[in-house]
Parts: sequence; C-alpha cells; structure tokens
Amino acid sequence: MSMKLPRGALNRRAFLRGTGACIALPLFESLRTSVFFAAGPAAKLACTATGAPLRTAFLYFPNGAIPSAWWPSREGTDFPWSRTLKPLEKHKAYVQILGGLGHKNAEPGPDGAGDHARGNGTFLTGVRLRKSATDVRAGISIDQVLANAYGHLTRFASLELGCDSGARSGACDSGYACAYQFNLSWSSPTMPKTPESNPRRVFERLFGEGKPGERQANLLRRQQEDKSVLDFVLDDARSMQKRLSPSDKHKLDQYLTGIREVEARIQKTERFGLVKDPGIETPPGIPADFGEHIQLLLDMLVLAFQTDSTRLATVLLAHDGSNRSFDQIGISEGHHDLTHHQNRKEWIDKVADIDLWYVQQLAKFLDKLNQVKDVDGQTLLHNSMIVYGSGNADGNRHTHTNLPIVLAGGGGGALRTGRYVKYSDQPMTNLFLSMAHVLGVRDLQRFGDSTGPLKDIG
Amino acid sequence: MRKRLLDAWLIVLLAIAVLLCSSALAAPDAATGFRKTVEPILTEYCSTCHNSNLKKGGVAFDADDASALLADKDLWLKVFKMLRAEMMPPRGKPRPSAEQVEHVVNWIKYSAFAIDPQNPDPGRVTLRRLNRTEYRNTIRDLMGVDFNVTAEFPADDTGHGFDTIGEVLNLSPLLLEKYIAAAKAIVAQALPKQPWNKAGSVPGDPQERRRYASKVLEAFASRAYRRPVDQETVERLVHLVETTAARPGRTFEAGMAQAMTVILASPRFLFREEQTLPNSTDRYPLLDEYSLASRLSYFLWSTMPDEELFGLAAQNKLRQNFSAQVSRMLADKRSSEFIRNFAGQWLQARNVESANVNPFAVLSKEQPRDPKAEQARTRFRELARKPQEALTEAEKKELEQLRNNFFRGFRRFRQFQLTGELRRAMRQETEMSFEYVVRNDHSLLELLDANYTFLNERLAKYYDIEGVSGEQMRKVTLPPGSPRGGILTQATFLITTSNPDRTSPVKRGLFILDNILGTPPPPPPPDLPPLEQAAEAVKGKPPTLREMLAVHRNKALCNSCHNRMDPLGLAFENFNALGRWRDKELDQPIEAGGQLLTGESFKDVRELKKILTTSRRLDFYRCTTEKMLIYALGRALGPSDMHLVDELVAKLDAAGGRPSVLIRGILESSAFQRRRPSNGQAQRSASARHFSPSPALQVN
Repeated sequence: MSMKLPRGALNRRAFLRGTGACIALPLFESLRTSVFFAAGPAAKLACTATGAPLRTAFLYFPNGAIPSAWWPSREGTDFPWSRTLKPLEKHKAYVQILGGLGHKNAEPGPDGAGDHARGNGTFLTGVRLRKSATDVRAGISIDQVLANAYGHLTRFASLELGCDSGARSGACDSGYACAYQFNLSWSSPTMPKTPESNPRRVFERLFGEGKPGERQANLLRRQQEDKSVLDFVLDDARSMQKRLSPSDKHKLDQYLTGIREVEARIQKTERFGLVKDPGIETPPGIPADFGEHIQLLLDMLVLAFQTDSTRLATVLLAHDGSNRSFDQIGISEGHHDLTHHQNRKEWIDKVADIDLWYVQQLAKFLDKLNQVKDVDGQTLLHNSMIVYGSGNADGNRHTHTNLPIVLAGGGGGALRTGRYVKYSDQPMTNLFLSMAHVLGVRDLQRFGDSTGPLKDIG
Repeated sequence: MRKRLLDAWLIVLLAIAVLLCSSALAAPDAATGFRKTVEPILTEYCSTCHNSNLKKGGVAFDADDASALLADKDLWLKVFKMLRAEMMPPRGKPRPSAEQVEHVVNWIKYSAFAIDPQNPDPGRVTLRRLNRTEYRNTIRDLMGVDFNVTAEFPADDTGHGFDTIGEVLNLSPLLLEKYIAAAKAIVAQALPKQPWNKAGSVPGDPQERRRYASKVLEAFASRAYRRPVDQETVERLVHLVETTAARPGRTFEAGMAQAMTVILASPRFLFREEQTLPNSTDRYPLLDEYSLASRLSYFLWSTMPDEELFGLAAQNKLRQNFSAQVSRMLADKRSSEFIRNFAGQWLQARNVESANVNPFAVLSKEQPRDPKAEQARTRFRELARKPQEALTEAEKKELEQLRNNFFRGFRRFRQFQLTGELRRAMRQETEMSFEYVVRNDHSLLELLDANYTFLNERLAKYYDIEGVSGEQMRKVTLPPGSPRGGILTQATFLITTSNPDRTSPVKRGLFILDNILGTPPPPPPPDLPPLEQAAEAVKGKPPTLREMLAVHRNKALCNSCHNRMDPLGLAFENFNALGRWRDKELDQPIEAGGQLLTGESFKDVRELKKILTTSRRLDFYRCTTEKMLIYALGRALGPSDMHLVDELVAKLDAAGGRPSVLIRGILESSAFQRRRPSNGQAQRSASARHFSPSPALQVN
C-alpha cells in the first residue's frame, strides 16, 4: 500500500493554488472583526492586544521523540538547533522550546501497562484515566475548557481533526478503551470529541457544500431544514428520557448535547451572518499519502483560523502507539516497534528521522500561518499559540516527564519567543493555565494536576 | 495468624448478619461455607505462595481483613478463571482433585458471587446506539438505500474487541451532525420509490390527505422505531407535513420527506430502546416481544427485524415460535452479517485489510545481505532528512534517483504485495471457515484444525498450493502433510499479529491467549528491563528471535507471562510476517517446538493444533462462548455471568462443539431474554446496583 505513488498529489497541488489565490484576497470583509475592535479593551477573551482574534491549536505526534536528538544542548535565546527541531529554525522568532514539563498522571502508578493510551488520553486532560475497556472516564480537555469560555465568539467553538480514520477492531492498549488513544479532545470526562479526518468534510462543515458561489445558499437552506428537524427530535428525546434508567439517560444526554451544538451554530449564523465563501474548489477526500493528508487537514485549519470560524483546534496527527511505516523517507519498519530500539544505534537513528519528519510537517504548517495576514496587519502565526507535542517523552522507556513540547506562535505578542527554556519538573497543565490566562480566561485557577501557571512563557 | 483469621471471621459473620437484616445482599452461607470447606483447600494447595508474606501475583488468601477478602469479586473471578483454565496451581505443584476444584468453583459462583441459578441477573445493558454496520443494514432494509457509512461516519469505538458494546458507543456532536445530514441524503435518495411520490396516489381532499399522511407515517415510524408508534407522535409528524407544505414553494411531498427525515434523525431510531413486559412481578422481567425481536435481529442479522418478526411480536407470539424463528433466521442469508461481524472482529479477520506489513522489508530480510543496497538506503535517508531548500541541484537529482531505486526495489517482491484483492481473499478465507462450521453445524474445533480451507487462485498461489484456478473462493481440501488448515495457519492471523518487518511471536502468543484460550496474561509491568542484553548475550552472530526471547524469558519479571505467550507464538515461526511458509530464519533452521504452561509439549504447529483441539478444547469452548456472549449482549461479562458461561460450555462440550447449541443457548438464556428493571421501584434498582459488576471485574 505504501508503494503507490501519492495519488492525491496532483489534486492537492491544484487545490493549494486555489488557496494561494484566496490568501491574496482582502480577507476579513465578512468576519465582523469590527466587533472586536469596537469592543475595545473590555473584550479580552481570545484576543490580542490589538483586538485581533487569538487562535490556539494543539497538535499531537505519537510515541515521543528521541531525547538526544530533540533537545538543544543549552538553554537561552542563543541555543544551537537540535537535529530534530532544525526545521523550525526559520521560525525562531515564533518558537519556544519548553523542557521539563510532564504528565504525572500518564505514569503507570497503580495502573501498570498502557503508556500509549495514557500518554494520549492525558495529554490535554491532565487526569488519571480509568483503566477499563468499556467504562470510559477521562477529564474535560483544556481546549474544551477554553471553548466553554469563548466558543460563543465564533461559528465553531472548536475543531477536532485527526489523521487516523481506520477501524479500531481488536484490543487497544493494555485494557484501556480505544477512545483514550483515538481522541485528544474531551467535552466531559465521558465524552470524547471524535476528530474529523476527511479534509473535504471539514471544508463543507466550514463553508457549505457545492461549488464556489453556491455554498452560502446551500448552508442557509440546510440550517433552515435542520431547525424543524431539531424541534421534532427534541420532543422525541424528551419522551424517551422519561422512560430510561440513569445510566441510559447519560447516553441520551450525549444526543441532547449534540442537538444543542447544532442549534447554537444556527443561532450564530443568524448573529454573525454567513461565512464568506473562500471561492476555491472543495478539496478532495483523504489523500493516500500521509504527509499530503496532514497538510491538507492543516490547510483546512488555516482557512478556519483565517476566516475566524474558530479559534480553537486539536489535531491528532497519529494516535500514540501508531505503528506506521515511513517508506517516503526510506523507513519500512513500524514507528512504534522502532521506538523500542534496544539502544541499537540504527533504530534510534530511524526514530529520530521519523521525529524529524513530523517536525517538518509542523514547520510547513507554521509556514502557512506565517503567510497569512491578519486583520491587524500581523500574520496568523503572530496571532496564534500552537502547542506541538507528545504524551510520551522517551518512547523506548515510556517516560512522561520532560515531554517534547514546542510552543509556536507569538500569542499576539504576548509570548516570549525565540528561546529554549527548561523548567524544573512542572506539570504540563501549568502551561495550559498560563495559556488560558493569556487568552483572557483568568478565572481558571486549576486544571488537571496543575500547581500554578508557568511563570514566564509570556 | 490462625487466631487473627478467626477473629476476622467473627467480624465477617457479624457484618453479614447486619447486612442480611437490611437486604438480601449476599448469600448467607458465603462466610460459613468458605471457612468450612473452601479455606482448607486453599490453605493446602494455594497458600504456600498466596499468603500475605509472599503475595505472589498480588494474591493472598490470609488477608487481615477477611470481610474484604470475601467481598473481593475481582479476586474470586481471577481464581475462578485460573482454576477453570488449569493454570493454577502451577505444573509440578500438588493439585487439588477435580471434586475439590468443583467445590471451590461452586462456592465462588453461588456464594461469593451470590448467583441464583433459578433467577440469574441478566446484567445491565446500556442503551445502544446503532453502530455503522447496523445503521447501514437498517437503512437498506427500511429505505432500500445503500448508504456508505464508512465514508460518512467516523469509526465506532470498540470495547472488548467488539463494536456492539453500548457503553463505548458514544454519540459525539460531530456524529449527530452527520446523522442529520445522512437522514436528509437518504430520504432524498429514497424519494422516487415512495408511494406518495407517484402521481394519483395522494388524495386531493385535505381531510383525506391528512388521513393518508397519518397512515403512511404511522407505519413508517413504527418500522423505524421498531415498535408501534404512539398517536401523539403521529400527530406531530402530520403537523410537520402540513407546516412544511404550507411554506412558500413547498409541497405535500416535501412535507412527507421532511417527516421521514426527522424520524431517521430521532433518538428512537438511532438508539435501541428496550422495554420489558408490563406488569411483570419478576425480579428480572422478560423483554417485551418487540425488544426481543430487535435483540434477535441485531444479533443474527445486524439489522432491524423483518415483517415476520414484527408480525409475531405484534401478536405476542414470538416466544411461542422462538425456536422456529431462530432456525429461519440462521438459514436466511442475512445471517452472513453475524458471520462477518462476529468472526471478523473476534478473529480480527477485518484487520488484515489494513494491516501494515511491508513485503519489501520482510522479504529483503530473508535475502542475503546487500551492503550496496544498504548504503544507498542510508544515503537516501540522509538526503531526505535535509530540508528541501538546502539541497543542491545535484543532491536533488541524486535523491530523486535513490527514491526511484528504492521503490523499484519493491517491485522484486511484487507477487507478494498485499493488494486489496489479496487481502480480501484472506479475510474471506477466515470468514468462510467460520461460516462453513456454523452453517453445517460442525464442531467448532474445526476452526482450529481442519484438512480444508477456502481459497481462490491468487491466495492458493500465495500459499504455494496448486490446482486452484479462478477468482472464486471455494473449499479446497489441503494436500496431505500441509501445515495449513485452521484459522491459526491463515494469513489473517499470521499477518495481523506481525510487525511491519518481522513476525512477533509475542503478539501471536498473546492473540491465542486472548482469543482462543481465553486466558490473557496480565499486562506487562512498568519499568520493563531493556531487551538490549538479549541481543548482546548471543555472541558472534545476529540472534534469532527465538534466541532473543529465550534470554528475555530468563528474567524473573518477564518469565511468568512470556512462558505463556512465547511458546505459543514461536510454534508459528515457520510462517513469516506475510504468512508464507519458510524453513529458515537467518539461515538457521526454525525450531517450532515448545511446551505449554499446562504441561503439554509439541514439536511443531501440527502437534500444537492437536493439543488445542483435545486437552485444551474446554478453554477454547469457554473463550468462544464468552466472546459470542459479549457480542450478542453488547456488554462486558462480569462475575454474575459465570454460571451461564459454565452452563453453555458444558452443553457445548456435550454436543461435540456444535455451534447451534451455543447460539441457541445464548438466545434462550436469561441474559438475552430479560432485563434489569429500568425504572420505578427504587428498592429494585438499589439491589440491582449491588449486583452490577464493577468495571474492574470485567473479563479480559
């Protein structure tokens, strides 16, 4: 399967040309950004100092990174670029390399094996996962805490993207439900937010179906039809609710939550007006080539950020424990197998190459964000906070301290970028607290196992 | 020690007495029975290792807190499984007699788990959403539309290896959006087929038209909700038709379409709500016949009940005709959904369609080393590592050439490339093996050992079996002496348990423990010692996998589990990661012999298959029974199910392993036919809560 030529290549190129055209347009006519400017200093939620939207994304890569290739040899602003992080050099002005952050709750503790499920499921939740194949319990993830605080400002409170779309039969990691490994975002301890893997579907959700020019009308018609659907099914759900036992009610609550989200979206359209049609062809489905797939999904994210359709996103590049092989860079063995490298130099080298490949994907994403001008004349990259990391530190030993974390983007000027800083053993959740505060969610005092905001990211 | 234990028992008795006064929580004789007859057996055969000093495997039978020990269902479930699988006491240690084992096991079931065999707890089934397969099939039967769920919906989460588990089948907001969109798309596609869309079929008179809409929608909603729909809902639907039709530019037909859309988006369609017989005084009331019809059809057909099942349920005659209906359903072609979905997940046959095994990596390892090619590959990776813009023109050209050569290298192994067509044949081989056994009611043991398999030309060539031509998959009698035969020598198992570039005896062993013998080892401990010594310990040559695993097994921390997994997995080393036969690994002959923890030795895979189908057959029956129960009930199994499992295994063995006995046993069980009461009586639900298996007690 890996021997095929990347089939999506042509389509994607054509599509990207389209995006380029879009980027060149004056962008924010339709965005009602005046709301933010007009609101002045009072509107501090998810805004930069200039009043532009401040976007946040969390990108997850699997299986940790070879520490010796990842970490620069010294701290500070004038650190030498490490082998793995080298592709970020050109964006140094917008990059912080954060060392010393960890997830204690991803460590085995009393729960034994299952570091991939825990690394993945703890990454944005910071809680100890219940070890069960069926009785799922994690915690609300940081992106959803933020979405609850300011998701009402945009058409979509948040976007969940991911590249794994295959079936999940068979057991997942060591007695943990698959949900922990295949989701990053959790709207409640029992409700993972399924990521969308099809770039086409992401585009259609954002801008409507059909050809350029027809989409706004299609979207409007669709929402109108949805309204009468919602009224009816809500009545059905309520009558059903009365007959159910408490645990079954919980399942139906998931249904009701979904209904409320669709309702809220319709109301937002009424409030904000329709999003402008980017005027480009709808992208094709899922490209056969993994790199193309990642980039196309990230293109959709750039469009979403650019049009202020959302200010929050999570992207699961691949689930932890992923055993993908990378023929495109000459590596035919499985990623996860290689990470248990038995200290063989050749294997370590190959894993470092895979780590590098993922960082190259990040670099391309930052390139794109850097090319888009925002309302305040800055770039999208300047007005973003992009966390890139993994819930495993050393994939060989399954450690969860000193996780490989990069915080990219300028935070609208609020972040101290261009440096490598090593904290002494702090919870990853402290970073989330600090970010929440930068985003104006100041009443968030604790999250997961946090002990207090990181002092000086900004 | 003895004195302390006695004191503890007094406390337990006292505690139990108190509990008995408040409710019937535990069998009254649990503690007495334990002390009198169970504890002596445990003391004699188990406590040498399982005492509070040694606490092997974290288990001690002389705990300070005896009441906690007795109440620890998790522990007793472990003990139950260890005894049933004859894993404890270990080989070489004195063993209790069969009667003694039965005694302990019965105490566990009827006292510690407090199972009442006359009135067993059917367990709690969480409200189940239709999974992707069920949705597709239901839409096909209801609307005559083939909806592509794989492309439109995200993959369902699985629990215990199956996508039928109510608890893990979540409904995310994204999926809900997709359900609404799907409902619209499906109705649009089904429109031309609707009777009201044909000229002249809709009455012109508004009153008549109203009656017409009411009749059509009542029938449709009742089928979609899988039970008669109430009048109030019908009125809401008719109202929706009228308000939609009244909008400018809209018609009666548009209103009908909108009504159908809301029905398909309703939770009453998307979830399978179950009801019990009204006015039942049973502690665990029987399901009403509509719910039973749905359980039957989703288990055996993965779709909604058909007209006949509906008709019987409407007359309350389904239970009267139960056996005949089961025969009809199994004979119906829709039962191939059960074959595909159950076997596809249990034996992971589906996974072969996406398994990531790389023929180039596997086969080039089996070729003599080629230093030149390795050099080229190193250079390729070196250049690939550099950022595109840092490459010189010459380097770009070189990279292009190296990449082309690298992919050209793949072509040497083209005939072993796992194309979609070949993968499909592999999946079908396993499914058809299961189907053959079920349809002909042959012994389930044929799944493990048989002198036939199912092949087409492509797969036969892949296996080096001659005389099969054409694309059609068919039953093929294997040549005498062939190592193939049985699912464990099929490409599905052999490939899905391999790494991309090599076999994994550990994964193969684990698969067999998990899915064939039903005795999964505990997960590996934290802080695993690195394997690198293993490689170093074998001097002077690259070590074979067997050699490395042997070093690994020498470590105390690893051996208790790897002694269970490795011998099973190593028996299949003659099959490479692609499932093809090989005589050598790294130019050394392959040894496939070994010994199981239960004592049986074998010298190759043929002998292992004999062991699995004779002395270990009850393990296989038990495992198959548990898997099918989980699939059928849509929930995990807990302590309160162990009586049922024992009963089914005994029946199955007495019937020579015939699957019909197992399937019917499940269908007739209280777990399938009844439900815990879902609302009303607070007292009932309080006691039901006590009996619910805690998550830690789940099987596997």
